[in-house]
Amino acid sequence: MIEVKGLSKRYGQLKALDDVSFTVEKGQIVGFLGANGAGKTTTMDILCGCSGADSGSAVIAGYDITEQPIEAKKRLGYLPDVPPLHGEMTVEDFVTYAAKLHKVPTNALNTRVNDTLQRLSLFEVRNRLVGNLSKGFRQRVAMAQAIVHDPEVLVLDEPTEGLDPGQIVQIRELIRSLGGKHTILLSSHILSEVQNTCDRIVIINKGHIVTQGTYEELTRDLSQGKVFRLRVAHSAKDALSRLKGMPGIVHAKIEDDHGEDTIEFGVEKSASENAPEDVARAVMDGGFGFRELRQKTKSLEEVFFQVTK
Amino acid sequence: MSVVFTIAKRDIKSYFASPKGGAILFFFLILMGSFFQNFVVSYIEYEQRASTMGGQAPTLEQLLRAFFYNLNFILVLIVPAVTMASFSEEKRNSSLRLLQTAPVKAIEIVLGKFIATAGVMGIVLLASSVYPLFLVKYGNPDGGVIIASLLGMFLLMCSQLAFGLWISSMTNNQFMAFLFTMFGLFLLLVLNWLAPSLSGGGVAEKIIKYIASTDHLDVFLKGMISVSNLAYFLCFTALFLFLTNVSLDSERWR
Repeated sequence: MIEVKGLSKRYGQLKALDDVSFTVEKGQIVGFLGANGAGKTTTMDILCGCSGADSGSAVIAGYDITEQPIEAKKRLGYLPDVPPLHGEMTVEDFVTYAAKLHKVPTNALNTRVNDTLQRLSLFEVRNRLVGNLSKGFRQRVAMAQAIVHDPEVLVLDEPTEGLDPGQIVQIRELIRSLGGKHTILLSSHILSEVQNTCDRIVIINKGHIVTQGTYEELTRDLSQGKVFRLRVAHSAKDALSRLKGMPGIVHAKIEDDHGEDTIEFGVEKSASENAPEDVARAVMDGGFGFRELRQKTKSLEEVFFQVTK
Repeated sequence: MSVVFTIAKRDIKSYFASPKGGAILFFFLILMGSFFQNFVVSYIEYEQRASTMGGQAPTLEQLLRAFFYNLNFILVLIVPAVTMASFSEEKRNSSLRLLQTAPVKAIEIVLGKFIATAGVMGIVLLASSVYPLFLVKYGNPDGGVIIASLLGMFLLMCSQLAFGLWISSMTNNQFMAFLFTMFGLFLLLVLNWLAPSLSGGGVAEKIIKYIASTDHLDVFLKGMISVSNLAYFLCFTALFLFLTNVSLDSERWR
């Protein structure tokens, strides 16, 4: 549905994008993660035909954005980082205008506009001027502009930016409900948002794609072996020295943050599958008072910092 | 094509939803009104002088020509005010993205904006035709001259608007757009007088004089509609609309 191949873009001396490639399958929601200035907005601008790439191609629903821009744009809804609004129009007029620009047939115009307004809880404010609305409402009006023509592909640049927690949940639910039918590329620097809403994640840093995959794939691939946390009743230091002698156990240390009785250790990838069991047995045999042993999962945050550092 | 009118309609509405459209009309009509009053007063003075002391009495056509020449000058101030925001404001507040990501060609955007500004200036021109109408009510001027003059003024406006749109499409600063448009239009206005000193006579002078709008407008103000002058304004308009299109399209490569 979205196919980006080898995109590169320079702004003078600054290399904004360097050989960026990724694909988004039909119906998927893909999170586009990156720090500020990593190249998210540049990629999305190129994808939506606002900006040109120095090399590479971007294909939307089978149409190249530079070769057949009109066909591609017909199937595209874009919410840019700065909402493209006309403050002097009423909400309803503005959404109708956006629908007309996207060539929604005249007979379907009213239903489409009303549906969109209902969907984004904008119906009550439809007669107010866009410029007089609060930031949260304006963001939703901008969202309405992107979905009013029911596009196959949606590109959303930081859709929850500037919203309050309640509105964030609302927009997130809307995005999730749009997935399946629509193909969505969503950029954000809020990691939990991406973790919660997206099927796949693409991480970009300094114009390079550093990694991509599902959340599970990313966390698995990036954990070099597994990390466990062990809690004992007493003499944690003795337990630690015992652990250090065992094969396949690395980086064993007392985890100060969690009190004197917690030990964190890693198990090498090559170590046997039974390593956790061996550890548990050693603790019980040693009489340290076995309390808890659990595997630590990496959060997306850790993955992000690991790949972008 | 319908999308062109969608864009034009929205723009015209936005001119009059904000104080801008009203303010332009207000200042324009006040200025034109005071000039017209002045012309009428001096017309009556000359006429009286002619009847008491003899000599040539002024004609209503002369009064009309003076009026439209003045309009020509005032346009240099009004047109930039109308066109300055067309692209630069949309660029500044990012609403141009809406047009850029819609399935709309750059030329459709340009035509939409052009029709909107032409509509606004059309309203301005229509409002100002109240003064020639006074002459029709209280005198007997040549109706053909009025119509030809209004047509000439409208064509001149269109060419000026196209120039203004081109300037506006190149900057996101409204004030700069206003300044450069005004400067450009002023230059076109005085080019006729500058021509001899710029070229030193000969073919070059003729060419420079041809580029200036003054001679072409003169023909209309004399009550004549000629194809060559019609073509001049149409070509001028088309050229700058084309340049606007190029500038808008090249946005993607900057």
